[in-house]
Amino acid sequence: MAALLELRNMTVALGRSETAKVILDDVSFSLAPKEIVGVVGASASGKTVLSRAAVNWLEPPLTRRSGTVLFEGRDIYAMKEADMRALRQRVSYVGANPMGALDPTLPVGAQIVEKMRAVMPDVSRRQAEDRVIALLDAVRIPSARNRFHDYPSQFSGGMMQRALIVDALVTNPAVLVADNVTQPLDVTVAAQVIRLIKELTDQFDTAVLFISSSLPMVREASSRTLVIDRGRIVEEQATEALVASPIHPYTRELVAQTPQIWRGAGAVPALPAEREVVLSLRDASQTYRVKKRNGIGGVNLVRAVRNVTFDVRRGDSFAIVGESGCGKSTLMRLLSRLELPSAGQILCEGKDIATLRGRDLLAFRARLQLVLQDPFGSLPPRTSIGRMLEEPLRTHGWRDKEKLRARVLKVMLEVGLAAELYNELPLGLSAGQRQRVNVARALVLEPTILIMDETLSALDQAEQFKLLDLFQALQKEYNLTYIFISHDLAMVRKVCNRVAVMYLGEVFELADNQRLFFDPGHPYTMALLSAMPTLEEKRYKPEDCLLEGEPPSPLSIPAGCSFKSRCPRAMEICNGEQPFLTVRDEQDFAACHLVARTMSPAERASP
Amino acid sequence: MSIMSITSSHSSTPLASRSLARRVFDRAVASPGFRVGAAIFLALVLATALYPELSAIDPTKMDVKARLLPPLFTGTNWNWGHPLGTDQIGRDMLVRSLVGLRYSFLIGMASVIVMLIVGCALGTVAGYFGGRTDAVIMRLTDAQLSIPMIILAIAVLGVSRPTIPAIVLVLGISNWPVYARMMRSVVMTERQREFVRAAKIGGSTDLRIIVTLLLPLLLPSVLFSSVLDVARMMIFESTLGFLGLGVQPPTPTFGNIIADGRKYLLNAWWIATMPGLFLGLTLTSINLMGAALERARDTVHAGGE
Repeated sequence: MAALLELRNMTVALGRSETAKVILDDVSFSLAPKEIVGVVGASASGKTVLSRAAVNWLEPPLTRRSGTVLFEGRDIYAMKEADMRALRQRVSYVGANPMGALDPTLPVGAQIVEKMRAVMPDVSRRQAEDRVIALLDAVRIPSARNRFHDYPSQFSGGMMQRALIVDALVTNPAVLVADNVTQPLDVTVAAQVIRLIKELTDQFDTAVLFISSSLPMVREASSRTLVIDRGRIVEEQATEALVASPIHPYTRELVAQTPQIWRGAGAVPALPAEREVVLSLRDASQTYRVKKRNGIGGVNLVRAVRNVTFDVRRGDSFAIVGESGCGKSTLMRLLSRLELPSAGQILCEGKDIATLRGRDLLAFRARLQLVLQDPFGSLPPRTSIGRMLEEPLRTHGWRDKEKLRARVLKVMLEVGLAAELYNELPLGLSAGQRQRVNVARALVLEPTILIMDETLSALDQAEQFKLLDLFQALQKEYNLTYIFISHDLAMVRKVCNRVAVMYLGEVFELADNQRLFFDPGHPYTMALLSAMPTLEEKRYKPEDCLLEGEPPSPLSIPAGCSFKSRCPRAMEICNGEQPFLTVRDEQDFAACHLVARTMSPAERASP
Repeated sequence: MSIMSITSSHSSTPLASRSLARRVFDRAVASPGFRVGAAIFLALVLATALYPELSAIDPTKMDVKARLLPPLFTGTNWNWGHPLGTDQIGRDMLVRSLVGLRYSFLIGMASVIVMLIVGCALGTVAGYFGGRTDAVIMRLTDAQLSIPMIILAIAVLGVSRPTIPAIVLVLGISNWPVYARMMRSVVMTERQREFVRAAKIGGSTDLRIIVTLLLPLLLPSVLFSSVLDVARMMIFESTLGFLGLGVQPPTPTFGNIIADGRKYLLNAWWIATMPGLFLGLTLTSINLMGAALERARDTVHAGGE
């Protein structure tokens, strides 16, 4: 088959001079009609520049030094401006930031129609609208005709990404360049988007260049994969062959670094069941009152966390997982007593943390610490690192300058920060270094419980591994208890012994690591596992349990089981009765009628 | 991204061990702008402190024979005894300007400090706590903004005697809302930052967060813009003096010197000009130093050293 899009010896540099940094180095590949080609590489490897070079969208200071791009045999860089504009309808681009891609002041539909008519002036407005609505339907945006008139802020991240795919497909392109489209999405939504892209190649004969930093994600999507490292394509193979037998050392490293879920024994050692309970939630709930937007007044109740009950024992690495909007962050704020629960209790070593005042509160603060998510926003920009780390100690009454300095330097050493950084600002530090400062700031008070709020999600794979090793070493040394709040199941599989799965503010399943990944009790857990991109044979087939649609709004949680609208195994009883956490085994619980049915008599658990 | 690379790049510079404030200061002092500003400022300080006493000329002493003498090298009958000339009743302009500078500068600085304290405190509280506190303080600000400064000045200074503390208070009180608004908006964005949350988890009280975390971060830029307000306040004081509500004669301030000189602008331009010259010199020197410090701070904090 003749190539649809072909890059020949493409070299792109940053600036025009001879010494300018080369971003793409002699890249050549081709894309056949209807084919999905994956491009995988670490951050800063030149992926995005590659995607832009392919569609003639290099902006200064990026300059093309040599090479050509042939589209259906014609060189797009030699074309006249007007011809290129005509070609734009055949080549489309979808980027990684769906929320920033559309004008927030215009309805989504109108913007897509506008774009379509810009490249295809002979289409009437009505025809264009019909086509956009048909496509919105095709990417499964519910009630597309109404959604057409909604504004970008009314779309969720997943829906927005699908709307942008419509935006790219509306001119019926021959090539779609998808640059990291799944990155900002939750796993189940990302899986939906990938499935959508695959269907579209069949339906509309579109060839796709699928660019991603995650090898498992590329494997899900593409039939052939290019590996790019520092601007060079180092390997090109059919995807399955590439995963099974990588040739280039970089690819081998990439494959080896991808965490495995089911293959091999779990890395987490089993802990004795009877240990001291350090943190205990008793029906903790949080309800926010949000003003209605109708202008008349009144409040909506947002039930962000509902009746969460679990125990964390000393030495646990406890994971709280779920998609965005499931109440993880609210739960984190409750646990760290940034907010008080609207109902229920949180007990820390037997005492209700809501009643703590003064000295007791300070003692609690020293016992439980939080490591934040954003490595850039979480450090005050104009405070030196030493000063920053001393601050919590000063708050807790340390005065002696020598002691302060000694303590801070000791902690800096423990987390792998050089002592020279003591008087430095956080400015020049990498994301990994910054997270180490974050960890140090938490550790300096010698806490026993550390909450990790998506601490690793901003880091690349190699840095994540280093920090995880650090966490494990610290845990061993200080007998720490970790609570990981995460959406990354692969990381959870690697380090956590106990996992709580949350959905719409509720805990759906609570189980030990091994049980959760090999014998999940809740259909939602299965869906999460099936949506997870991996390099291995999946235990749970997406065809059986992948979810449709998105979670309902926490403003109007449906009666009965809150999952029933997406559950592939919903039954009669799910409509009327809300399932509670039910014992499956000594330690494992799931909130599903299926479990209650197999375990009779169904009894409400008291974990 | 190894630790080694960072360590080695910094250990090669011995500067790294100095504290940040020290580095900022050293860098500022090294810049020519700061040196020029400091030299002018120092000269002015010495002159105002010493010249009126050393020359033993009374700034209020009249000498009708020597009235309206021009400054050195201008006109026909200038003399060395009055380098900047004399005014309409023969008072020495140099001494009057220097003494006036003392009063005007004092009033300018003091009213800016009042303004900063009131404005920043209220703005920070409003921005940090939000909600009802914010609403109350902001309505108060609006109320304050809706009263024209001159009306307030006439009301207050007309009723009580226009003493220096009263003038400082009036000027300070009528201008704080600008700072309250400025502080409120920046505090509102900063308090949602993650490091504020981290400090809360660390056990810091709200007061501690405001004082040790937010103020050091936000005040420098506010302080810098407030330097320009010192000039504005000195001019406002002149306005009041013009209306007869400023510092009362015979005590010289820039306001009443200019007000007097206005009538003689055509045949004795120097009376109204000299205070302006001193005003300009003072503010230029402060701005030069301020700008140098600001630039040094930005360079150091942006990793320039």
